[in-house]
Amino acid sequence: MGRTLITITQLLNETEANLSAFRRTLRRSDQYIFDGLFAAARRHIAAIGQAESLLPFESALLAMLLEQSKEIAVLEQKVEELIKKNSS
Amino acid sequence: MAETTGWLLDVYAEEDGITLWLLTDAGQHLCLRMDFDITFYVAGDFRLLRQAWIYLKERDVRLERTVRRDLFLGERDVMAVTTPDPANIQKLFGDLQRQFPSLDYYDVDIPITLRFIAQTNTHLLGRCCVLQEGEWGQTIESLSSPWEINPTPIPLSILTLVPDCNPAIRTPKQLHVNYNQKEYSLSLQSPRPFLISLKADLQRIDPDLILTDYGDTWLFPQLIQWSKETGIELNLNRDRERHVLTRKANSYFAYGQVTYRGAQAHLFGRWHIDRKNAMSFGEYGLEGAMEQARVTGIGVQEMARKSPGAGITAMQMLTALRNNIMVPVQKQQVEGRKTLTELIRADHGGLIYQPIIGLHGNVAQIDFSSMYPAIMVKHNISPETVGKEDAPEGLIPKTLRPLLEKRLMLKNILSDLDPRDCRVNVLKARATALKWLLVVCFGYLGYKNARFGKIESHEAVTAMSRELMLQAKEVAEDMGFTVLHMYVDCLFVQQEGFCKPSDFTQLMNAIEEKTGIPIVLEGVFKWVVFLASRRDARVPVPNQYFGAFQDGTLKYRGIELRRRDTPLWVRKIQLKALEVLARANTPREFVDLVPDVKMLVEGAKRDLRNGRVPLEELVVRQRLSRTIEAYKTPSPAARAAMQLQAHGRQFAPGQSLEFLFARNATGVHAWELEEALDSGKLDAKRYYKLLDRAIQTVLTPNKAWCDLKRLF
Repeated sequence: MGRTLITITQLLNETEANLSAFRRTLRRSDQYIFDGLFAAARRHIAAIGQAESLLPFESALLAMLLEQSKEIAVLEQKVEELIKKNSS
Repeated sequence: MAETTGWLLDVYAEEDGITLWLLTDAGQHLCLRMDFDITFYVAGDFRLLRQAWIYLKERDVRLERTVRRDLFLGERDVMAVTTPDPANIQKLFGDLQRQFPSLDYYDVDIPITLRFIAQTNTHLLGRCCVLQEGEWGQTIESLSSPWEINPTPIPLSILTLVPDCNPAIRTPKQLHVNYNQKEYSLSLQSPRPFLISLKADLQRIDPDLILTDYGDTWLFPQLIQWSKETGIELNLNRDRERHVLTRKANSYFAYGQVTYRGAQAHLFGRWHIDRKNAMSFGEYGLEGAMEQARVTGIGVQEMARKSPGAGITAMQMLTALRNNIMVPVQKQQVEGRKTLTELIRADHGGLIYQPIIGLHGNVAQIDFSSMYPAIMVKHNISPETVGKEDAPEGLIPKTLRPLLEKRLMLKNILSDLDPRDCRVNVLKARATALKWLLVVCFGYLGYKNARFGKIESHEAVTAMSRELMLQAKEVAEDMGFTVLHMYVDCLFVQQEGFCKPSDFTQLMNAIEEKTGIPIVLEGVFKWVVFLASRRDARVPVPNQYFGAFQDGTLKYRGIELRRRDTPLWVRKIQLKALEVLARANTPREFVDLVPDVKMLVEGAKRDLRNGRVPLEELVVRQRLSRTIEAYKTPSPAARAAMQLQAHGRQFAPGQSLEFLFARNATGVHAWELEEALDSGKLDAKRYYKLLDRAIQTVLTPNKAWCDLKRLF
């Protein structure tokens, strides 16, 4: 009610719509990964909003990176566990 | 001079003062007249004021030059205009404003009940003592306070009138009358004997409240018409000199949807409430409407039909009157100038997290109680104090403080009572009625038409709420909790080994100490599911979840079960499915119950196939968002409306339509059509789809849970 600026949810929707030609050109398998990037950003809508940045999409990119780093950390942990399991 | 004590039921304006209605301790209805002068104020350019003075000198008013306070501008030189004729103040003001449109007007459109309450320090439905001489009241003294937790109950006599069917669909044949637990029916076949019986009943019972279904939209207009046709005089008012006050129906746009409000019929000397045309009446009933009337100063029949926003505005006016602050006719505060960065910083709502998708065990939900009003009171946020250090208590906190305290006290009493205690329902209704007043108060700080609104104060509240939520999150994380979700004023937290309510006490104390806002434990979930978006299972949605508390109680938000447009049959089966799942004590057991749910669904579909589901349970309700002609591709509701339009029915935007999905040309069958749908024509596939969707919602956790495991 009564907001002047668009919300982060709207911003992400709009940016995604603007990139529809980009997405369309990707292979189907890559499109799934591309959607995953936006899904990652959407998990941090509150944080992107709190960043109060003039260019909120920068914060959205950061959120995508963050999710990626998280995934790497989880995978690293799994690899370590597997190595331990195999060596024992 | 005679002295009488009793309850103040109603106050309304006359051309020479006001009329009061009292229910006396002896059970009598006392109607009194009182002199009552009304003053409004005019400010602005002195030359114009002088002209206005000359213009008004011809009228029956007293004029005076004085100084009064404007909430934002401070002390102002004003012309006080006092009239002994409260009934015609709007006409006087209208004439004056047409002549002098550029002057500022104050205290013009304050309801008479508020002026009376502010001046006499009484309150509606309160105990009072009057001194009278003949039919004129001389003085009135209050014997109670609207903030009393246990007001003396008023022995109201209530007459209930309900037709045997919805008059919009079929012509009723009988009117069921209920009084004092006696019930009988009056035939509506011929108006004359019906009117004679009803008139006799009214005289005999002399009710304080006529409670009806469809009284506003059907019964009262019908009674007035029959009375004219038959020549049988029937005055529904207790005040014989008045006619029934009728107000026209209208559609309006609020909170993102078009709402339809039917015509209204108001009475004098007694109340009329149409249960089918009263806004939030279904939620808190007569007790709630009376509680709101008590604290807001708006009459019961008005309050039952109005939104809580009107109630909170009235309370703010009352605070203003009591503190000698003038109430402007129009809002004068516009948004302050901001740079883009300032705007980006300020223009936020509450903090809404995206929850961690999936099924979680042993999760506590903790809520800040009345967070926004509590922030306004604690941090003195009011349109005139925002951005000022050390300002005296503002108008809004002053209005809210007693309301907040009363609700908290009612809640405390409720939490100590046995749920089967006979007082529970009444107290709950009153607490809910107060809750609604508190809820809308925040919105009115930023609402463009609110008298005492200023967007900056609205923003200050949300900014503070976000800060407090982050503080709460930090406290929880410092203590080793995982914060699964945060939603405006509540948090969902989890920690290995924490499952009893008492395990979370330390956390709650720590949060309360840090933020200074009271916090309560809503409960500990055995398991709770946060849902993913239907479009992409990797995207969480903030307000769709369901779970089972440790005592087996279910809580669900945003799923089909909560939606009014879901047919009852689907809602019932979804609820049954949740009840099956609620048997699970851990997320692991949840998975074991999936086959039981699938069996339940198969059984339900079999019932539908074999015609064992009553058609009523399959009715879908949808709202018309525009006029029927304005639809390019008519929605199912619009198609149903068209079927009824062919039979002469009219529809306005905001009205709800009920229909069945059918295998015919339009795909729908309006529920209100005279001829019933042959159950063989039911579009069963459409209903299967609706059911599958609802069941998928409650079973997805398995899938989403697995997906999540796969991704991480």
